[in-house]
Amino acid sequence: MALQRRMIRLRIATPLLTIIPGLALIPVCIGLIKGIHIGGIYIIFDFIKASISPSLETEVIVNSLKGIQVTISIAILSWLISTIIGVILGFATSNIFWSTFSGVSWIAIILRRLLSILRSIHELVWGLILQSLLGLNPLVAIIAIIIPYSALVSRVISDQLDALNHDALKALRNIGSGPLSALTTATTPQIFPVMTSYGGYRFECALRGATLLGVFGMGGIGTELQLTLQSLQFREMWTSLWILGATMLAAEKSIKYLRLHNHSIKQNKKGINLAYIFIVALLSICLKWILETKSDLFSSINLHQIDLPTIEGLNIALNSLNWLSLINSTLITTFLAAGIAIGTPPLLIMLMPSKRCLEIQSFFWAILRLIPPPLTALLLMMSTSPSIFVAAFALGLHNIGIMGRLLKESVESQKDNIFNAIHTVGAGERVSWLYGRLSAQSSSYLAYSAYRTDVLLRETSVVGVVGGVGLGWQLQESLSSFAWSEVYLIIFVFTILTMLGEAFNEQSRKIWLRSEDKQSSKFSVQT
Amino acid sequence: MFFRNRLLLVISTLVSLLGLTTKPIFSQPTLKIGGIPDQYPEKLNRLYGLLSTELGEALNVSVRYVPVTNYPATVTAFRTGSIDLVWFGGLTGVQARMQRKGARIIAQRDIDAKFHSVFIANKSSNIPVIKNINELNVLKGRRFTFGSESSTSGRLMPQYYIQEAGLKISDFNGGMPGFSGSHDATIALVQSGSFEAGALNEQVWKDNLKTGRINYSRVKSIWRTPPYADYHWLAQPDLDTRFGKGFTKRLQSALLGMNNNSKSQAKILKLFGAKKFIPAKVTQYNEIERIGRQIGKIR
Repeated sequence: MALQRRMIRLRIATPLLTIIPGLALIPVCIGLIKGIHIGGIYIIFDFIKASISPSLETEVIVNSLKGIQVTISIAILSWLISTIIGVILGFATSNIFWSTFSGVSWIAIILRRLLSILRSIHELVWGLILQSLLGLNPLVAIIAIIIPYSALVSRVISDQLDALNHDALKALRNIGSGPLSALTTATTPQIFPVMTSYGGYRFECALRGATLLGVFGMGGIGTELQLTLQSLQFREMWTSLWILGATMLAAEKSIKYLRLHNHSIKQNKKGINLAYIFIVALLSICLKWILETKSDLFSSINLHQIDLPTIEGLNIALNSLNWLSLINSTLITTFLAAGIAIGTPPLLIMLMPSKRCLEIQSFFWAILRLIPPPLTALLLMMSTSPSIFVAAFALGLHNIGIMGRLLKESVESQKDNIFNAIHTVGAGERVSWLYGRLSAQSSSYLAYSAYRTDVLLRETSVVGVVGGVGLGWQLQESLSSFAWSEVYLIIFVFTILTMLGEAFNEQSRKIWLRSEDKQSSKFSVQT
Repeated sequence: MFFRNRLLLVISTLVSLLGLTTKPIFSQPTLKIGGIPDQYPEKLNRLYGLLSTELGEALNVSVRYVPVTNYPATVTAFRTGSIDLVWFGGLTGVQARMQRKGARIIAQRDIDAKFHSVFIANKSSNIPVIKNINELNVLKGRRFTFGSESSTSGRLMPQYYIQEAGLKISDFNGGMPGFSGSHDATIALVQSGSFEAGALNEQVWKDNLKTGRINYSRVKSIWRTPPYADYHWLAQPDLDTRFGKGFTKRLQSALLGMNNNSKSQAKILKLFGAKKFIPAKVTQYNEIERIGRQIGKIR
């Protein structure tokens, strides 16, 4: 009885639970405001002012366009290759594959664990390591994205495969089909729609990833952004930002149209055609880039050895760094950033639920998604003292953009009957919103939040590099000192942390999804 | 309509993949030159563009400038042989020589044997001019920025003198210094008030003074460090086998022979902030190596 009562109380509280993490804003804002100074306020003001007057000089525009060409090409190539590898690995690491072929599924579990190591390391970290292995080569960025993304795609595919209804497969096997043909015939039609919508999402990620790698000198528009920000040329920076923004927006819209089209939801023809035109345009941009850089891309792919770790070296590294404080600040950054990213969107939607406010919010979220977090951190550090809060805030802001869009889309796609029912009995707009709209979404939103926290943990390495925080910062320091033993240890610790985070995330996701199986499908597909 | 579009997609993808199989065109060896990105990219593009033309004519080989966007990547690019001749700072040069055995120091500028860093401060910070090294204490609790984390004049030597004065880098406001990324960025950030003070390459500071990019009402120089050896040209050990016997020597004399009588060479030297290039010795950088080890940038 007592247990039952507690569970009921928990269910009522879920919409509020989505907002509570937003409390992280309090310490972060205090931390930011404490460090703020007059010179910095002017800088932020200049930055915002420059947004409406980007530089229109031919040279600047040409540079930005060249940059976006590289970024788009890196994104397309890495996305294409990682999707292909991911699908193959996805089949090869599913329980159903191994039990169909050999009757045992434990091999699949081992393979999946191995792949999760590749997944646990952020593409930026891969990029920094590969730079040392391959030197100056445009392939660095491409391979850096391919490695973790292949592992991510393969996980989604294998999860989906194992969750399928396997009656068709059994039937085919019983009538004597070979294992391979039976497996492909039985599963492909069911997997295909998942792949198309997940594939679209992954392309957006690839575009963001390629931009981010550019910020760390691996080419493309990210490099332009970083260089212009570094020298405070905000008008030039906004030229690149608007071009990147237009590309991102076109990509997001096209993917949305194609996804709805694939799910046979009625769409206007114009949108679909525009989406196809956009895709062909992207592909030709990519093709042009390949032809231009093919001598660089394929001339000298030779691996350059880096020092392998010795026990003595590792021992020195182990003793020379303050691991406890590094891990501690990494985790604090993650939780603060997660709190901001999870709590802010529902809070803002609840405070300002009108249609127009939602449009304004989604515009701001688009801008937040656009700017890579290390650049936000750099901008913030020009106006406030460097601290853990800067890193957390920069990371949080970027992820508000992602969480906010997700919440808006899922809230909009649901029916209004509960909201209307609560509203008509006399509840205020906000309360009706809280219990009518948010409540239905909150469990799956929280489940997705658990996943996002996991992503955030990986992303702390990114802001850490510029924000001077945690393992990310130490990684950059060690890499620039060519202290390989430290680099190996840092990556090892990071891998352990993110794998623990993933285990924790899976557990909490199960809790949030226990009663909301149907709701969850659109969220879980994004993992 | 639907299928036609799909078909279009497939075709364009196939064409993209075809591009992948095209074989690279082999040509004469190209001398790839580069440098650490210590200043605005536009300036570096102009400088290395001119130098590429000049060296190409003098040595009768094709020369290409390979831009790199951060200091450690430049060292890595040298180690992996992506660049043949690199303009390194003191610290990055030592790092590069340790990773590429047999690399040869070709030359330095006349100003590099006795190079200096300057400490600058935003005027509204009221940080006083420093007369001797111990007075660096006034920077305690201030917002302070270095340049790149691997810069000799923008980090290594300034940090060394700060520590000599008994200050720790965790004594700065926020518990750590900023890293602006380049010398020009340090000026911009201190001038704007983002940071109250910073340290950078004296030559870049002087260059900015001359070209009128410094706003005297907002930023001033507060201290000049004692001299130390800095920038130098470093070449791959195998240039002679790739470009012909005696190539390294010819390369060296081409650089050392630059003077202000030639209009194009004068332009290059001016962009480098020097009157001429002079020979350099490995021993000049022993002190940098020692300090590099002490601060942990050399292992």
